[in-house]
Amino acid sequence: MDAALQGFALILDPFNIFLIFIAVLIGVCVGALPGLSSPMAVALLLPFSLSLEPIPAISMMAALYCAGTFGGSITAILINAPGAPPAVATAFDGYPMAKRGEAGRALGLAAVSSVTGGIFSLLIFLFLAPMLAEVALKFRPQEYFALAVFALSMLASISGTSSIRNLISGAAGVLIGTVGIHITTGVERFTFNSPELTEGINFIPVLIGLFAVGELLNQSQALDKTLERITSVVVKLPSVKEFVKMKWTIIRSSVLGTFIGILPAEGATVAALMGYNEAKRFSKNKEDFGKGAPEGIVGPEAANNAATGGAMVPTLALGIPGSATTALILAALIMHGFRPGPYLVRETPHIVYAIFGAMIIANFMFLIIGLTGAKVFSRITLIPRQILWPAVFVFSMVGSYAFASSLFDVWTMLIAGIIGFLMKRYGFGAAPLVMGLILGKLVEQNLSRAMIIYDNDWLRFFESPIVDAFLVLTAVSLFWPLISKLWKRS
Amino acid sequence: MKNTIPERPDTEKRGGGTRPPLGVDWTDFILAVIILAVCGFLFFITTRFEEASEQMSQNIPPEWFPQIILIFISVLTLAIPFEHYFKGRKVAGKEREVKVKPISILSALLLCLIIFLMPWLGTFATMLLICLLLPLLWGERRISVLLPFAIIFPGAVTLLFTKVLGVYFEAGIWSKLF
Repeated sequence: MDAALQGFALILDPFNIFLIFIAVLIGVCVGALPGLSSPMAVALLLPFSLSLEPIPAISMMAALYCAGTFGGSITAILINAPGAPPAVATAFDGYPMAKRGEAGRALGLAAVSSVTGGIFSLLIFLFLAPMLAEVALKFRPQEYFALAVFALSMLASISGTSSIRNLISGAAGVLIGTVGIHITTGVERFTFNSPELTEGINFIPVLIGLFAVGELLNQSQALDKTLERITSVVVKLPSVKEFVKMKWTIIRSSVLGTFIGILPAEGATVAALMGYNEAKRFSKNKEDFGKGAPEGIVGPEAANNAATGGAMVPTLALGIPGSATTALILAALIMHGFRPGPYLVRETPHIVYAIFGAMIIANFMFLIIGLTGAKVFSRITLIPRQILWPAVFVFSMVGSYAFASSLFDVWTMLIAGIIGFLMKRYGFGAAPLVMGLILGKLVEQNLSRAMIIYDNDWLRFFESPIVDAFLVLTAVSLFWPLISKLWKRS
Repeated sequence: MKNTIPERPDTEKRGGGTRPPLGVDWTDFILAVIILAVCGFLFFITTRFEEASEQMSQNIPPEWFPQIILIFISVLTLAIPFEHYFKGRKVAGKEREVKVKPISILSALLLCLIIFLMPWLGTFATMLLICLLLPLLWGERRISVLLPFAIIFPGAVTLLFTKVLGVYFEAGIWSKLF
């Protein structure tokens, strides 16, 4: 209880509230701007955050994460171009509703369902994270290794064009994590006699390059594309009657979104698509879907925002990121000297409560900011690409440089960006690579420790029922695309 | 009232269509060959890692984990040329079918050139050049927009990083000019 009060007291500091407000503003803008995404914004925020105290820094990132997820729905509804991938499903019915002159109603529905989903998942996070951490405290290296492998295997089922390519991306991330001096033996690996590589590849420039520079090159392919835009917006909140009418859709999507968010590697995009599908499946007016059905907006919106709180559960309680953005938050926690996982929850619970508080505040802030400023936020999409992306590159360059005042990091960022552009082109996701990069060290360290404990006997891994359970889940997750196909066929 | 704004390429529908014929997708085949070649090279590098003493390595030699990962990637890569058949559609979708535009290659080259010159130019001049040349390359011709952006934005970023965040920026040619 003391920790909760301490955490909330920390977050209610006026300076922290101001930073959360700034983060929410940035988040909604970033979410609304097609091409810019929350992972990119959090990656760009990472170098800035290192000059702040840990709590305001992490709170800013968490707030940006929440607001960015909602921001995408503004442009999804007004211009049929989801500002962020989690808002893809919102456009299915949001834009048709806006086209028939009810843009304000669509935005109101999206905002209220987003906040409801967000608050629901945060309450679950508040109760589940300490419980999960308590269980995880009993984990030994072999169990942690199996858990991390399970998390990596989940990359097979995250959204993207191909499970195989997602897994390859994830494995490539793990491999990049092996560059530098091997902790156990002190041997240099993949350093190619470069002194800059002996400490490993700094992941800030890699993350910035993959998300920001890769997207910059991607945007250069589409300089001439234009789209219709609806500008006459007066936001209208749903009436109590309308809200009550859709309560089951919102509750169902919130539960689903939270659950999907908790699953390692699964993020808000999967949650939103499933939220939409479930809303349609249970609806009495299935034929209205795709034509501006209100349930088609509240379903994905409640689910995608619920996934943000859900994704924080494994991130903080287990040290396993629930999504690409939480992988970055995890990286920030590590860089601020924390040890995400059960020990964070046990030894510094006030940090967890402060993050929870920041996310709650962010949810209410984006409700107010989003509703009052929807028209303004929809107009920021008018910023020409020719100005926006050079500005993003400048931030990327300076952000990469600032961390260690190293030009090598700027080159790392640029090369990662070019690789990210090519990866996207050939169906390899950047998010799995980031997850692999973050989880790689956890996998290797725990595997090495477990092998030392087991005296190099692989079979002894199966002695632990927890390891067995995770290995079964890993197998299911790896073969899920095949299993689901056979299921559908039967 | 309707305005026009840039469209997000991600929103375009991907893939779809009829099942492709059984066989190898040649683009994917070349992709797989490149990945396998890189994996092969990196595997060779792992065999050249320094040998750690038995006491230090405790039966876990440093090359062991990277080798497992490389084998895992290689095995998965073998499936890439045939993946389109199992999925019943092209895997990488439209992005791959559209040729890389010269503007993207030029943008990458320009950025590489500017970063190459960064030690000599200094951070501020580098930012200024990016804000000036990249929009020009991308077709922005309004000097009234371009010049204020190219001067004010790098100035604001420099102030933010040097004064607020305390980051040291290389002065470069500015130190010689002023």
